Amino acid sequence: MQGRINSKMSVDEILGILRGSGGYYLCNNERDVSQSDFKNRLMPMTTMRVAPHREEAGFFSIEVSGGASIHVDLLRKQVNPFERLRITRRAMPNTLLQIVCRGASLFGYRHYPESVIRVTVQQFAKYADIWRVYDFLNHVPNMIPIFEEVQQAGRILMPSVCFSTGKEHTDAYYVEKIKEILEVTGPDVIISIKNHSGLGTPKRIGQLVEAISAACPDVILHYHGCNTDGNDIGRMIAAVQAGVKICDVADHGYGAVYGQAPALTLIQSLEDYGKKAVGMNIPALVRCSDILRRERRIYEPFENQFRGHDPTVASYKLTGGAAGSTFEQADTGGFLDRMPEIFEEMARVQVELGNWWSVTPGSQILWTTAVNNVLFGRYERPSLDLKNLILGRYGPLPFYDPQEWICKKVLAYQRSDGKKWHEILAEDGGQVKPRDPDLERERENLEAKLGRPASDEDLVLYLQHPFDAAAFLQFEAQYGRTWLLPPEVWFRSGGFKSGERITFEDEHGKPHYIEVMSTRREGGTVLTSLVVDHTFHTVSVTVKGSSVLPTSN
Amino acid sequence: MIEKLMFEKILVANRGEIAIRIMRSAQELDIKVVAIYEETDKDAYHITQADEAICIGPGPRKDYLDIEKIIAVAEKSGAQAIHPGYGFLAENPDFPEACTNAGLVFIGPPPEVIRNLGSKVIARRIAAETEIPVIPATSTLSPDAPGEKEALEFADEHGYPIMIKAVSGGGGRGIRRVEDEKALLSGLKRSRSEALMSFGSDEVYLERCLYRPQHVEVQILADSFGNVVHLGTRNCSIQRRHQKLIEIAPAGLEAALSEEICSAAVRATRAADYLSAGTVEFLVEPDGSFYFLEVNTRIQVEHTVTEMVTGIDIVREQLLIALGEPISFSQDEVVERGYAIELRINAEDPKNDFLASPGIVQVYQASAGHGVRLDGAIYQGYEIPRYYDSMMVKLTVYGFTWQEAVDRLSRALNGFLIIGVKTTIPYFQQIMQEPDFIQMRFDTSYIDTHPHLLEYSEEEREVDKIARLIAEINAHGYNPYAR
Repeated sequence: MQGRINSKMSVDEILGILRGSGGYYLCNNERDVSQSDFKNRLMPMTTMRVAPHREEAGFFSIEVSGGASIHVDLLRKQVNPFERLRITRRAMPNTLLQIVCRGASLFGYRHYPESVIRVTVQQFAKYADIWRVYDFLNHVPNMIPIFEEVQQAGRILMPSVCFSTGKEHTDAYYVEKIKEILEVTGPDVIISIKNHSGLGTPKRIGQLVEAISAACPDVILHYHGCNTDGNDIGRMIAAVQAGVKICDVADHGYGAVYGQAPALTLIQSLEDYGKKAVGMNIPALVRCSDILRRERRIYEPFENQFRGHDPTVASYKLTGGAAGSTFEQADTGGFLDRMPEIFEEMARVQVELGNWWSVTPGSQILWTTAVNNVLFGRYERPSLDLKNLILGRYGPLPFYDPQEWICKKVLAYQRSDGKKWHEILAEDGGQVKPRDPDLERERENLEAKLGRPASDEDLVLYLQHPFDAAAFLQFEAQYGRTWLLPPEVWFRSGGFKSGERITFEDEHGKPHYIEVMSTRREGGTVLTSLVVDHTFHTVSVTVKGSSVLPTSN
Repeated sequence: MIEKLMFEKILVANRGEIAIRIMRSAQELDIKVVAIYEETDKDAYHITQADEAICIGPGPRKDYLDIEKIIAVAEKSGAQAIHPGYGFLAENPDFPEACTNAGLVFIGPPPEVIRNLGSKVIARRIAAETEIPVIPATSTLSPDAPGEKEALEFADEHGYPIMIKAVSGGGGRGIRRVEDEKALLSGLKRSRSEALMSFGSDEVYLERCLYRPQHVEVQILADSFGNVVHLGTRNCSIQRRHQKLIEIAPAGLEAALSEEICSAAVRATRAADYLSAGTVEFLVEPDGSFYFLEVNTRIQVEHTVTEMVTGIDIVREQLLIALGEPISFSQDEVVERGYAIELRINAEDPKNDFLASPGIVQVYQASAGHGVRLDGAIYQGYEIPRYYDSMMVKLTVYGFTWQEAVDRLSRALNGFLIIGVKTTIPYFQQIMQEPDFIQMRFDTSYIDTHPHLLEYSEEEREVDKIARLIAEINAHGYNPYAR
């Protein structure tokens, strides 16, 4: 397809094509769709099933990693995040792989030491072609080590400016912020407008893009938005008309709500304005959704409790990526019915705390504060993260500080030394860089847990999420690459019937089968007899309490 | 078709792979075979391969060593001859004697030959008389303090290190290398006690320790017509605690040296009035000096490598010789071609000091293909008993060149799938990748000088690991790792 960009091109070549193109490009943001609408549970084999068609569809890139996905890979999907990148690369050799990184919080929830940031980026940069990097306070120094490592690795750097609404969020602010970024990175980057909550009208986004383009005419702009209010197609139309070159979209088969808007709808709409989606193959794009509509049924238990668009997001500004986890927490905590109240409180807290950007880790701070305020009284139970925010540990707040009464309640909470809040702020305030760990010692710790040498990739996962990474690596040693299983088997409920045959291919394309022959229970042990690639096994599993055994046995 | 007189039925007084090996040759000669077994061994594979089977007692081990019982069941079964295999009663001269007394043919050397060659001291004398170099050694040491004095005098004359050996020893038992006087004196006591336990005699002697020698042995056959033929050399240098781990044919010596050693082996065999199959063992120093070590008066575990490179069925020849036939070929007809390597796949955990790993063989898929020979004793579902040796299957491969043999062995090892017990396979896989082995640079110190070979991780089939998760999901009714 003419004008298509592929992963074999150099950074200069790719940026050159983007600058010279009269059309626009699309990034399939499967990672954000999974995080926003399916509690991050989309399994690698679903990605693999649709991969050949997505490759043919001609996306500029696919975002398959970063954000919360890395933690969930380890915690709930038992897949090595590096392996997921490797298999996606094999399945989609031409499409650029994109990753999103939460600034100094990387793929976690708090700021990491600089040495950890650098070594992590170095390892992931072996696979990820494009790095979408943001900071929830738009504090550029928090992102500099990542900028440096990405550019050093010869990858495409995509620094983001988080976008929101309100009187502080002027064109001038964003233009100056982009100039500040370009001062650090130089011009050969793609600047992303991160509209993480899907805020603003199409007109507002169009104006913003025009203002940026006017101030920085050579800059290549990317737009990332969520479709929570159902209007991201309108915003993207305005953005592309004003000069955005790349938009994040979803497959219409996923029917994303809190994630991205459908690619095909955008393509069809923009065609009317004379704008072409470069490289896109529509029949292949349609095939992707035909497959995903079927796949989607597997993930039905993980879809959000609240379905349907919500234009009131304009006030509470919850980021799409946090939707799944917040609803899940509310459901688990038994306060799902109080969500309207919590959303109202979120809007209040948002303003009170400085009207910065509700994206990780800020979104967690806003959410937790709002929930605690509703459940226990306003600022009666401030979290440690809120305290750290007010102390300036994440960086300076961009527009204004919270009112004194809030600072007092938060900083004095559970203090027994009688110090006043301003004394605490004076003594403990300001950004404190986390201390660099002894990486070799950390490696030794991990190796002791695993009983084998730890690779650099193992170490990086461990530095990010020490407990969950070690547990995953131990799981992998015992159970292997279970992501090879069909997702419907991974999420199976109720066990297997005798005679049921599970088939799958390994990463070398060799077919395998596991046939369940019989199941019997002896006390607290369940014995499952299996035929595995023509060989007979009986595996005993100790179960606690009563388990659900298949009724056909 | 053999038209001559033939045994109708023989009894194999052994178990495991060697019992099956003997049965195969016998059955090819249309001889019926009687297997014996102990109750503790009633699931053994060799029973299923025999024409008849007789339980000889509750076991474990003691009934396989009970001459009277075995003779009695042989008579009862109508067997005309007994093959002892290796181990158990194979080198006990009382056994052939009892066979003769019962009118049964013992398929092996006569008792006096076993008795003479079983004594290391007599065997050394036979070698010396036929001008075969022997390692400087003492005669049998006197008991107690006088023996210690003799030992210290020998050490003064030849220096350390020194080997302490049991006079009736074999299979590595009762052998000890000592580095100084203190170790010599304590080692004497321990070797005497070990020898008494293993062989019923606490007699020991000392031998000068050679510098990084290779263990080379010669397979011989001798018939009752005075014909003695050698089938070339084997290299059994790769040993762990004096027990052979890997055996190779031919030994890889210079042609002239090989000829000299084989000729010496034939001389020793003749001098001993030998009959049947046997092995003459030597130690060869890097400069080509070689020394007589001992004669094994039985079929050996590693005979398969010689069979692979010569094409000769040694057990078949044993049977024919026992029947009074001459060896069925001449020395000139023996040709060694290519290389064969044999190793023992045991149910052992190499990482745990090669501790036996008895248990149920849940899955057994054997390797196969061109140039691969298996002499096995297990099957899927077989529970390896803890009472007997842990050998599961003997893998022998043939290659036209050394490299081809190594490549084939590596491939053949990868072709095994054994689940349920730990095996020596991963350790051997390490050796197949080791540069010194690949370049055929090894001596008896190989295992001690390559300790890193134990640094491996055991690879399990990915699908078997995944099957474990399926069982978990099935047992719990949900995937506990997806929540």
